[in-house]
Amino acid sequence: MGNASYLAVAFEGILLIGALVVLLVAVVAGRSRAVWAPIAGASFLLAALAGVLQWIEVENGGGGMFFSAQNLQVIKSPMVVLDGFSAMASIVLGLVGFTAMLGSWDLVAKVGKRSAEFVALSLLAFAGLHMMAATPNLVVIFIGLETASISFYVLAGFIRADVKSDESALKYFLLGSLASALFLYGIALTFAATGSLTIYGVNSIRDFFSETVVSDPGILLVGMALMLVGLMFKISAAPFHQWAPDVYQGAPSGAVGLMAAGVKIAGFAALGRIFVGGFISQIDTWGPIVAVIAALSMVIGTTMALVQTDMKRLVAYSGVAHSGYLLLTLLAGVEGMSAMWFYLATYPFMIVGTFAIISTVSGPTSTSSPIEAMRGLSRRSPEMGWLLAIFMFGMSGMPFFAGFVGKILAFIAAGDAGYIWLVVVATLTTVIGFAFYLRVVATVFSGEDDDTTMIDPTLSSRFAVVIGATVTVVFGIVPWILIDVVRDALPL
Amino acid sequence: MTDLLWILIALPLTGAFINIVFGKRIGEPLAGWLGFVLVGSAWAIAVVPTLGLLTGSGTPETIYLFSWIPVVGADAAILWDPLSALLTMIVTGVGALIHLYSIGYMHGDERFARFFGYLNLFIASMLILVLASNYAVMFIGWELVGLSSYLLISFWFKKPSAAAAGKKAFIVNRIGDWGFLVALMIIFASFGTFDFGVIFTTAPVVLTTGAATAITLLLFLGATGKSAQIPLYIWLPDAMEGPTPVSALIHAATMVTAGVFMMARSAVLFELAPISGVTIAVIGGATALLAAVIAVTQMDIKKVLAYSTISQLGYMVMGVGVGAYSAGVFHLSTHAFFKALLFLGAGSVIHGMADEQDMRKMGGLRKAMPVTFVTMTVGWLAISGIFPFSGFWSKDEILAATFQRGGPWLILWAVGILAALLTAFYMTRLYVLTFLGKPRWAEGTEPHESPWTMTLPLAVLAVAAVIFGVFNTPARLAFEHFLEPSFALISHAEPLDLPLAAVLALFALVVAIGGIAWSWFRYNRDELPVEEGGFWQRGLNGFAVDDLYGRVIVEPGKKVCEWFADSVDPKGIDGVSHGIAQGVRTAGDGLKTLQSGQVRSYAGGIAIGAVVLILAVLALGGGF
Repeated sequence: MGNASYLAVAFEGILLIGALVVLLVAVVAGRSRAVWAPIAGASFLLAALAGVLQWIEVENGGGGMFFSAQNLQVIKSPMVVLDGFSAMASIVLGLVGFTAMLGSWDLVAKVGKRSAEFVALSLLAFAGLHMMAATPNLVVIFIGLETASISFYVLAGFIRADVKSDESALKYFLLGSLASALFLYGIALTFAATGSLTIYGVNSIRDFFSETVVSDPGILLVGMALMLVGLMFKISAAPFHQWAPDVYQGAPSGAVGLMAAGVKIAGFAALGRIFVGGFISQIDTWGPIVAVIAALSMVIGTTMALVQTDMKRLVAYSGVAHSGYLLLTLLAGVEGMSAMWFYLATYPFMIVGTFAIISTVSGPTSTSSPIEAMRGLSRRSPEMGWLLAIFMFGMSGMPFFAGFVGKILAFIAAGDAGYIWLVVVATLTTVIGFAFYLRVVATVFSGEDDDTTMIDPTLSSRFAVVIGATVTVVFGIVPWILIDVVRDALPL
Repeated sequence: MTDLLWILIALPLTGAFINIVFGKRIGEPLAGWLGFVLVGSAWAIAVVPTLGLLTGSGTPETIYLFSWIPVVGADAAILWDPLSALLTMIVTGVGALIHLYSIGYMHGDERFARFFGYLNLFIASMLILVLASNYAVMFIGWELVGLSSYLLISFWFKKPSAAAAGKKAFIVNRIGDWGFLVALMIIFASFGTFDFGVIFTTAPVVLTTGAATAITLLLFLGATGKSAQIPLYIWLPDAMEGPTPVSALIHAATMVTAGVFMMARSAVLFELAPISGVTIAVIGGATALLAAVIAVTQMDIKKVLAYSTISQLGYMVMGVGVGAYSAGVFHLSTHAFFKALLFLGAGSVIHGMADEQDMRKMGGLRKAMPVTFVTMTVGWLAISGIFPFSGFWSKDEILAATFQRGGPWLILWAVGILAALLTAFYMTRLYVLTFLGKPRWAEGTEPHESPWTMTLPLAVLAVAAVIFGVFNTPARLAFEHFLEPSFALISHAEPLDLPLAAVLALFALVVAIGGIAWSWFRYNRDELPVEEGGFWQRGLNGFAVDDLYGRVIVEPGKKVCEWFADSVDPKGIDGVSHGIAQGVRTAGDGLKTLQSGQVRSYAGGIAIGAVVLILAVLALGGGF
């Protein structure tokens, strides 16, 4: 065990320690929020910093695979991997987690003494999310997935007195469990067919494909398909998306940004790790299916978003469409990974910022947030109004915002992979999508002058929104800074 | 000098920012003057390098600003050549005059400063579009122009018709934008870059005729949206709901010409695709004729001008289709002046008549509004194609180029002549009904001349409408030589022999005078002709094209959306509202029953999806 192996698990380690400290402080010092605010913030920032160190280590050629314990090297089954891919996941998840925590702070302030739970669960969830990106072992991916999912089930139902919040949590839990079960079954079948649970290393799935001529691939294919279903559920790609609008709407507004952004990042990281890292030789089998799912997601997400009257549902359906765009990057295999990370490093900030604004306008514990509530926001709180417009422009793919560059890179990836028809669909839905994003912008900037109930955002949500908007604008105008970096965010 | 051209875009952009953010504090009329001065300065700054190009002391060049997405050859750079210089002069020149005019026109509007903010934003967007040195930046300008146009059309959004018109323009243009976007994808797939320089020099080698046809037809689809051609022209008449200066600036002089400009810029690609050329010319000719017929039947003074604009754009598109790019661009320039003049004149009339737009309630305004009357006379003669006004020269050139192609193109030429006849007819109708004859004003109307901020722009534009035409006559092709560097990469047809050209021009002139005379004697009398029969009624409704689109496209589209909402996704809007209502009501024990149904159906969805996916994987992977 060298220092690098500690570094490889630094992200999870820091967040776990942070969560434990928060819980301990809550027991010892009582309900002083002021104490664990800095702890939570510092944990996320330190975790992101660890990500930067990991990145430097990888750039210097220090990456590699690590094993659970020295003596297990005999069976050569790596549990943790440190590469550009996992380091990038650390940086992105750390910064998104920090921003989302700021955006959730209004809710934390509202829930009184249970706020320690909220903070600890968030920290644990993000540790789980990163595990999904940083392990070559399918079972560990599953453990990370469950760590994050179970935390999020609780967060969705955090306002126990609100029946909608309970409904949301229960729904998320039941359907999420089903998806997890399918995913796990997929892992089991894959193990049955290949005799391996690991993507890299000796006797890995990759070795299996390069060394074996599979004559009867039935079990293997079903395993692959089930893993795909499980992850498609998590990223809310159509037709496995129906939970998302209900859960987003029912969960307290202050918590949704955290969940939605985090799951999106880790879900795609796991997809990239498993399918581009392990099953790349089978891309002719899963590629067309991912393409169809992408098309369905873009079309259904966009169409349904058009008819929504609730902000949270609208963002949920737009998230379905965005999953579609993100899936385009998978089709290009390893070549598409940098496009995927560009998207994942920018789009989640827009989600977080949007939900911070929703939480400010409709209240952090609210379970509904009609678009109409945004009417005249540009007057009632000019900064929130303008910044919401920036997020809408960003998500819609308006030039000079990060969403535009992300989409272009995704389109190019799909085009390079030969899916021209999919690019045509994607441009079509992008163009249609402008309609509902701009409807929100129009609502923000319209309204009678006499309706001037001013909204005064808290400092924390201001910070969250400004960070999100900065990312959206800066990487829209000077995207090559990020493009140059994510070029190295590749799986081993 | 040209290094500083980015200031052209920065000036109106600054104005937009200041007027939108601090407008309320600046107030009227200072916000308007600020907008005017910034656009005017942009014009003044652009004059010097334009003169450089004109005298030959300057050369076309690309000015690199900063790199944006270098991977796709999309740098922020300015392409400064005669074509972009010409458009810059029009956009900033006409734009500045319209800013000045708006100071008077928008007097007293509660969102005065916001209006100028949007106008400035439009000018900046338009400059991004015309100065772009690659398709990616051009597309940004294209979209920004669409956005500011939407904001300006629905500026009086409290009027439901204005809000609806803004929305319609926006949605119809999305269809065109989609075409543009897909064309860009194919361009990128073929060339690996968006850069004009690379694309135009390598196009003949890289592109097959099929690819060039696909690209150009899709680009043309984009142009039919912005430049209001069949089948996407329907948004422009509705866009008249916006303030009149907006109609003059955006829907006559600048934005609607963006499509023509884009096709002229891509001339090299269109040269490679003869089939596209034919399609474009035919659609342009058909638009010119259809819109002219509809214009004849309109009663609203702005609607006449709107259909007239569509018709004139049809001419320009026809010019591009027959390969006479500089003729198309020439008509674009002259039209920018005389149509802006006509719109501003109409605005002055509407202003003076207390917002009356129905020509049946006008008449005899000659004495009440002398300046408007004189300047409108110039505009009327120019658009009708009377010698020596500018419209005569530019329209004639397109018709001559069409005639020269011979064979079946002669039909198109005849269509153009017919449209010219109708143009003279409906413009005379507008002119006579508005200014001549006896007053038919509604009671209590007291027409008055507009303030100098409104009449001065009219006068300047009138002068331009008179003289601009002589830059390019069959005898003296100064304009064409000026544009030559922009079209250096395509072959030029030989100009017609002077005698034949003169005969054709004379014929067109006779036709125009015939149209004027016919209309003059029909309308310049005390008793107006009754115009109520089937033709007039149908024409007034634009031959029910809107209804047709409504039945064929909009309604089915709505049905599909509703079907999605109600059936495909079991919880559309209805489901949510019912769900919420029910959820609260059955808060206690009802929770379980409410949940199980939905979760079961969702889980069922996941299960079905999983089965289908497994079968698909098995099929593709050879698992059967």
